[in-house]
Amino acid sequence: MLRESAGGGGLAAVDKYYQDYGLRARELKGQGKKVIGYLCALTPVEIIAAAGLVPFRIKGDVNEPVTRADTQMETIVCPLVRSCFDGLLKGKYEFLDGLVVPHACDSITRSYSTIKYSLGLPYSHFVNTPHTTKDISKEFFKAELATFRGSLAKFAGKEISDESLAQAIKLYNENKAKVRELYKLRRSDPPLISGAEVSRVLIAAMSLPVGESIKLISSVIKEVKQRSVSPARKSARVMVVGAQVDDIAFIKLAEDSGASVVVDSMCVGTRDYFFDVDVNQDPWDSMADYYLRKLNCPRTYREWAKGTYEDDLEARFSEIGTFVREFKVDGVILYILKYCDPFGFEVPARMKYIQSLNTPVLYLEDEYMIASTGRLRTRIQAFLEMLTK
Amino acid sequence: MEEHKWPEKYPIEGKRGRKYGTVAGMSVAPMVKAVIGSSVEAQKEGKDIAYSFIECNYEEILRAMDIVPVWTENYAGICGAKRDAQRFLERAESLNFSRSLCTYALCGLGFDEWREELGEMPPDAPWGGQARPKVMLSSGQLICDPRNKWYQAAQQFQPDVPIYNLTGLYPAYEDDVGLHEVEGYYAKYMTDDLRGLVKFLEEYFHKKMDWDRLWETLKLSDDTTDLHVECRELRKAIPTPMDTGDAMNCMVPQAFLMGTQEAYNFYRDLRDELKYKVEHKLGVIEDEKYRLIWAGGLPSWFALTDFNYFWSKGAVFPVESTYNEQVYPVRELDLPKTGDPLEYLAWRYIRRWTYWYDKAKKRPGSEPDVERTINYIEQYDIDGIVVHEAFSCRSWHVGLIWMLNQIAKIYKPIPVLILGKGKTKEGVYRELPSLILESDIVDISSYSEADTRARIDAFIDTLETARSRGG
Repeated sequence: MLRESAGGGGLAAVDKYYQDYGLRARELKGQGKKVIGYLCALTPVEIIAAAGLVPFRIKGDVNEPVTRADTQMETIVCPLVRSCFDGLLKGKYEFLDGLVVPHACDSITRSYSTIKYSLGLPYSHFVNTPHTTKDISKEFFKAELATFRGSLAKFAGKEISDESLAQAIKLYNENKAKVRELYKLRRSDPPLISGAEVSRVLIAAMSLPVGESIKLISSVIKEVKQRSVSPARKSARVMVVGAQVDDIAFIKLAEDSGASVVVDSMCVGTRDYFFDVDVNQDPWDSMADYYLRKLNCPRTYREWAKGTYEDDLEARFSEIGTFVREFKVDGVILYILKYCDPFGFEVPARMKYIQSLNTPVLYLEDEYMIASTGRLRTRIQAFLEMLTK
Repeated sequence: MEEHKWPEKYPIEGKRGRKYGTVAGMSVAPMVKAVIGSSVEAQKEGKDIAYSFIECNYEEILRAMDIVPVWTENYAGICGAKRDAQRFLERAESLNFSRSLCTYALCGLGFDEWREELGEMPPDAPWGGQARPKVMLSSGQLICDPRNKWYQAAQQFQPDVPIYNLTGLYPAYEDDVGLHEVEGYYAKYMTDDLRGLVKFLEEYFHKKMDWDRLWETLKLSDDTTDLHVECRELRKAIPTPMDTGDAMNCMVPQAFLMGTQEAYNFYRDLRDELKYKVEHKLGVIEDEKYRLIWAGGLPSWFALTDFNYFWSKGAVFPVESTYNEQVYPVRELDLPKTGDPLEYLAWRYIRRWTYWYDKAKKRPGSEPDVERTINYIEQYDIDGIVVHEAFSCRSWHVGLIWMLNQIAKIYKPIPVLILGKGKTKEGVYRELPSLILESDIVDISSYSEADTRARIDAFIDTLETARSRGG
């Protein structure tokens, strides 16, 4: 059953949790729960949940100009990280008891001290994820996760057992399965649910404890399946590829410009939800395997696959190809935030790969703020015009 | 004030306009030119060449295996210093690399793409160009995404050149986890990865590592670092015999030539020169009014003359944190005993990166970078802090504002105890003004000389005001 603040569930509850992001975490805090804020999909949230704590993903706000953060953080930091920090400084997430930051990218890593000291939370921890996927990297990462386990257990005041982790993994996998089920509703033409709606659901859900997220997404699936008419018109089917898009503004912009966003390769999206943590082996081994090898973020260097450069691109980006085929994508928008080094260095390679699928691609670099909408709209409209010719 | 009488041994005045630099430093430019020239020659001769990054813990391995390193970031720095980087940056941009990315990498990628297209060096390539590698050695560091991603991006132009990506992780500074609880598994990881690197190089180049030679190289490299540390220590003198403008040159042997006799000889000569100058009170400038610390950020390589501008205002930099991140003597690192040179390398790397951790723990609110700066401020009698925020680099240029704020919070006003009349101790306080310069490392389009100098003028005024208030 959904909590009171969710009302009757479905898209109405999604809207509530999206508009008042953090509502449920605030309630839980009021009930005596400890809430741990985190940045980035690389945070091993299952361990936080297994400790009996509430993981809460910190997000930015495209509508809120960054002001306070600029007095403490350089403007050359990724605009999303700056926006998250600004929200934190402005008391938007005052309910947090702790902070967990993974070794994701330079912007996040170098901001850890700044954020940690500015907030002065009772708990903070940095999870040092290796850059390579070698066996020795996995062995190291398991040791690093064990350190995190010990540190978090001390804060939570309880041991994190293998069983509780296995249980958390199971729940998170169930959540991922629900998201995949939701994405299936986008396969029809026109899709039964719009891209902006899906983004709104995922963003709202990431603010909830995983059990409640499962129920919320389930209620949305049920509601959408009852639709007799699609909210979207038949139009160019577009995929968005990028880093973290934690606001519906960009997806909505693309759809308002005439696209139908049917799938993505990004956070919050398929990157977080389309691959499970293995439940058939030691849970700590599975966790290391998932966050190092399965979660396909360019911050992790993947060894050259055997064969040609094209074979290497296929190995690195094949999930984009799979989605293009499965969701019958007409064109791809490569949406990269300024100052994003991990994605920025891959732009030509990603474009080359997408073009090799005979799929047109539009590369956009953005500054995260809503102010850039006009410029982007013109480029997207021109791209859609080209797609529909 | 009596005019300096420069000894014949150090006949600086009037030579190449380097009135303020060291004689040893004058040999750096030809040294760099020779390093680049020899790598271009090595390519012609079909020798084993590796794209490399400085301070990535594989320098001595390359030396011991006779593999020629090509320091790609530094070649970009040279293009920047010669104000000839724009054409390579623009080329990279035309390939859809964002101009907001690391401009070292953009310059290198633009250069590589052009060289591969032509099948020869781009026209008028600075100092003969950047040699084509046979392998590329990436570095998965704790901070520096470009060192992890650059060479992978370069493979689109040279797909036949394989990469080995070596870890560069060291523990984060944490409140809840002690360094010594975790460094063991970090060292093991790095040791294993170094073993992987040696195996990769042995197989690819069909040659075996000479482990005795590696030990000898390590010994030479450690002795060289000791000399370099001695040089840094000598700069504490008032007046300081060498400043940051010179140090940005004199870091070259430490960075490019580690593990060679040439690097050792360089710092030996520099040490001797500095000793002499300290003994004879020969300072960088005649009237040393303000002593500053360059507390973060790489310099704008195309605007090193900004240091001259500081000098013209009576300001010198006796110390800097840049390029000093790993310059600590081995005897202070308390390395575990080992007969394995790779394990030794791993521990040395980690202990150098975490050198300030234990010291920072003793000061509430401090962190390693903050602690290092505070220590330098005290040891070098510093009056003000300067940092540079290069727009294209998040590795070294993020966290500087926080560091300055934190220093101000935990350390300002700076207590200064002086002996008053009647030899009683009197407590006074001094302010520590700071200046943030904004530009880039390579991209000159981000630079305004007028704006930079206006900021320096204002900063000097602030220093003066602070001093007049008793600072």
